[in-house]
Amino acid sequence: MSQSQKIALVVDDSRMQCKLLSVLLEEENYRVVVANNGESGVKMYIKYQPDLVLMDINMPIMNGFEATRRIKKLSGVGNLAPIIFITSMDSEQAFIQSVDAGGDSILVRPFTPNVFKAKIKSMQRISDLVEQVKGLQQEQQNDAELAEKMMSNVIEARNFALDKIGIIKKPATIFSGDIQLSALCPNGELHVLLGDFTGHGLRSSIGAIPVTETFRAMTKKGFSILEIIAQINKQMYTLLPGDLFFAASFASISEHEKSAYIFNAGLPDGYLFNNDAKIMQQFASTHPPLGILPQLLPDAQLEVIQVKNNDRIVFITDGIVEARNPLGEFFGFLRFEKAAIEGIAKKDLTNNVLKYLDEFCQQCEQEDDISLVNIPCSGWKKIKVTNKVSIPKGFSEEENYFGIPQGALPTWSYHLHLTGKLLKTVNPIPLVMNQINDLEGAGEHWQSLYTILTELFINALDHGVLELNSSLKDSAEGFSQYFNERSKRLDKLVGNVINTPDDFVRISLKYFPLSHGGKMVINIKDSGQGFEVLKVIKDNSIAINDGLKLSGRGVELVNKLCDTLEYQEKGTLVTASYIWHI
Amino acid sequence: MTISCKISGDGKKLVMLIDERFDFSLHQKFRDAYTSVMTQDLTYVVDLSQTEYMDSSALGMILLLKDHAQLYAGKIIISRPSDTVRKILEIAQFQRLMTIE
Repeated sequence: MSQSQKIALVVDDSRMQCKLLSVLLEEENYRVVVANNGESGVKMYIKYQPDLVLMDINMPIMNGFEATRRIKKLSGVGNLAPIIFITSMDSEQAFIQSVDAGGDSILVRPFTPNVFKAKIKSMQRISDLVEQVKGLQQEQQNDAELAEKMMSNVIEARNFALDKIGIIKKPATIFSGDIQLSALCPNGELHVLLGDFTGHGLRSSIGAIPVTETFRAMTKKGFSILEIIAQINKQMYTLLPGDLFFAASFASISEHEKSAYIFNAGLPDGYLFNNDAKIMQQFASTHPPLGILPQLLPDAQLEVIQVKNNDRIVFITDGIVEARNPLGEFFGFLRFEKAAIEGIAKKDLTNNVLKYLDEFCQQCEQEDDISLVNIPCSGWKKIKVTNKVSIPKGFSEEENYFGIPQGALPTWSYHLHLTGKLLKTVNPIPLVMNQINDLEGAGEHWQSLYTILTELFINALDHGVLELNSSLKDSAEGFSQYFNERSKRLDKLVGNVINTPDDFVRISLKYFPLSHGGKMVINIKDSGQGFEVLKVIKDNSIAINDGLKLSGRGVELVNKLCDTLEYQEKGTLVTASYIWHI
Repeated sequence: MTISCKISGDGKKLVMLIDERFDFSLHQKFRDAYTSVMTQDLTYVVDLSQTEYMDSSALGMILLLKDHAQLYAGKIIISRPSDTVRKILEIAQFQRLMTIE
């Protein structure tokens, strides 16, 4: 509240009355301005923006009721310029009319100076309260705007591939905490999250920053989507109060494997649409929202699906299906599906849904955030398979262009030997990549290395230790059967504190700096029976050329990325060397 | 908007009957209905037979009740939800956290 002198406006055609009221008001420390009819009263109001207005009723040119109506119109909603009518008309009619015109109080002559002063004090008290409420409202509005700005400018602006992922984001009048994130994994897979925090305003955005940080950092380091979900759940459980939680859907899309992993914790069904606008699959929520349980439920599992080029995955929050029209009806799933299907035919799902929504809701006030993400399953960054370094023309093999030291020792080596249950619970690839980054610094060239390590490790685990047959993945039914079987066999791996379990995978790295880059020699050994690698590779290359086969692309891809790739000991030991050129 | 509460004859159940709309406006009343109850091994029955609409803050309120119940070794039963409400509970997978009947 301002400490400066308050201004009172006296509107009365009797100069005597004006003088009298001015004296009393000045005694109460007001600065007084005077007008002698309604019209000049309105002008004075505009000019001085007084804190209090005293208004006569009967005046020439414009009477007090009309002047009051105009002033109230000018001062707008929620802005109280208290107006007290001063009159000698002690009638019910006058009282009702003055209130109707917008007057805040009425004072009937004759009155004593003390009554007048008391009246003014009580009016001032009310107007101070209004000011206070207004201030609080403004503060709340600022908070909500800050929360919204934080979400859109700070958090979501850093998303990956904003141009490719279709997004609808219509915050409710009171911002209510929907969040959309996308990030690229080191191996070219795409991670997407659509989430909905309970609550409104700033309260609902408490979790946004940690969720974002975790999602981005872990994706970048190469953690799997389930590991990221588990971590976000744990974080939200510690951070959020008991009645706040985070409903979210996650997708991890691998273009080169033509597959996607989906997890829905508490959002409405997600969808897989094909290019012909058919709903191929729906992803129902399979887990309570994140932040409710200290850990994910033990049977928490990703849904693994096969995707084709031009398929799209769509996630929505409940704001869409619960959007209401003027009759109070919900937009609902059927209308959404219709709009989406029609939109795919028009090659613009996102905007078609938005158009339908706007037409349905008309100008109804929106109660909840409305969000959608529309993710194409193809057209993502291709993994570079051409960066195998070749010796430039004019150099012969003997000239040792790369300066590979013959018989030299590596500058460092690294070993990780995982056994039994740890093979299920630990993802070694981020650990290994972290070590490499710590030792040699970050760099673009590690992306291929990440892919090589991931593929070789998964092969060793799946085909070696778990003895899964990759040909299972050739058909759509086999595809999910494969992943079911995989998690079943992982569960059987035992943890034994006394004896080292029999099952293991050992990863060894040796690093050789070269004059123009570096060389990494990777060894991965597993405890399995081995498999006929050559046959797999041969089959694959034929099949890939024919465009037939879904599985087994891993080895083929690794072969393209590596300088050398060699399987030994019946396929239980693989040695790969990777060279990069700076 | 109200919540009517009664203890069953054998004193083993606290039945909380919720209104048509179960949303943030019931927050205080819902809390008041159980915070002073400290009986051990009590079953808290949230009767949703009258409820037509429920939002996510209602789910939050149920979670707070669950924390309270656990403190006194009690349990929660969500009773007779309508199809719409059941759908909301299912999306949130609340059947994994408590009994819904």
